[in-house]
Amino acid sequence: MIESILLVDDESLFHLVFEDACSLLDISLSLRSLDSADEAAKLFAEWHKMQSGKPECVFVDLNIIGSSYDGIELIRKINFEYGNHVVIGIISSSNEPEEQAKALQAGAQFWIIKSDDIEPRLEQFKKDFEGYKKRTAPFKIYK
Amino acid sequence: MKFCKKDKEQLLELCKQKNICLEGNILKLIEADDPEFDAYIKQAIEKDREARKKRLEITKKIQTQNTDLSNLNSKNQKIMEELSETLESVKESKAQIETQNLELVQWREENEKIGEELKEAIKKSEDARIEAEKAKENAENDLDLIQKKTQFELVSIIVKAALYVILGVGLVTTGLYITAMFTNKDTQIIGSTWSNMFGILLTNAFSIIGTIMGVKYASESSKKSEE
Repeated sequence: MIESILLVDDESLFHLVFEDACSLLDISLSLRSLDSADEAAKLFAEWHKMQSGKPECVFVDLNIIGSSYDGIELIRKINFEYGNHVVIGIISSSNEPEEQAKALQAGAQFWIIKSDDIEPRLEQFKKDFEGYKKRTAPFKIYK
Repeated sequence: MKFCKKDKEQLLELCKQKNICLEGNILKLIEADDPEFDAYIKQAIEKDREARKKRLEITKKIQTQNTDLSNLNSKNQKIMEELSETLESVKESKAQIETQNLELVQWREENEKIGEELKEAIKKSEDARIEAEKAKENAENDLDLIQKKTQFELVSIIVKAALYVILGVGLVTTGLYITAMFTNKDTQIIGSTWSNMFGILLTNAFSIIGTIMGVKYASESSKKSEE
């Protein structure tokens, strides 16, 4: 089970879906949802200063409406500015190879395609999580 | 995480009496050390799972509906944009048609003006033609008059000359005859000559008058036929 998860997604309704799916699949007991990339960056900056409080895994939406930067930029910031000690990836309805390549360059470890049937993907992700944590699993797209 | 006996009893009582149980991920952290509380925790977890499943289904439905609505909204916006573009093009077409109409109206007015000018010109030319015809008629009349006058003058001169000749010959013959009578000369020849001459002259005089009348009648009849 993942210790703690942070979800950054502007779609509030997806927060509920993700929270319930994670609970039903016993993915994590601790889940925090944010709807802004700025807020997430601010929190990571604080956690970086305090050297504690970071979530174990971060799911970032590709396009976070109302934020200063998109999901890929947030991943880059988290990885290169606040230390890359978290498992981080994209959760988006987009399946653009170009964007996926950019995300990989920014340090994303996975790409989960958001859809109605999210549970099987999250279940697969749960199985692969240890590999991501140990940095041994390659970049994977969950379709 | 463990509960004391009193708390466990309270939680079990609450569940029995009001069907209120613990919910959420905290249930996964509670350790049950007696069968009754273990059953309670399992029941609460099951209840929580059921509630989450139900909520997940509802949320997904809402999400799908939201996606559909969003797609519909996008389509509507596209349709609105298309409508707006169509409206714009219709407005442009309308403006063009109005401009063309205006130009047509101007052309029509110009045509009407030109038509009126043409009518006026035609009228003027008709007037000019009538005037020209009148002038021609006048000229012809004048010419006719001049011709007639000339003819009459000529005829008058001829008649006068002829009458003078007749009168002169008559007078000379008469004078010779009278002289012959008063001078007791032979008047037989001169008398018969005078009477012959007088008869011939009289005949010729009437012949001249007849000829003149004939010419006059002929010229009048030819003029009438020309008209």
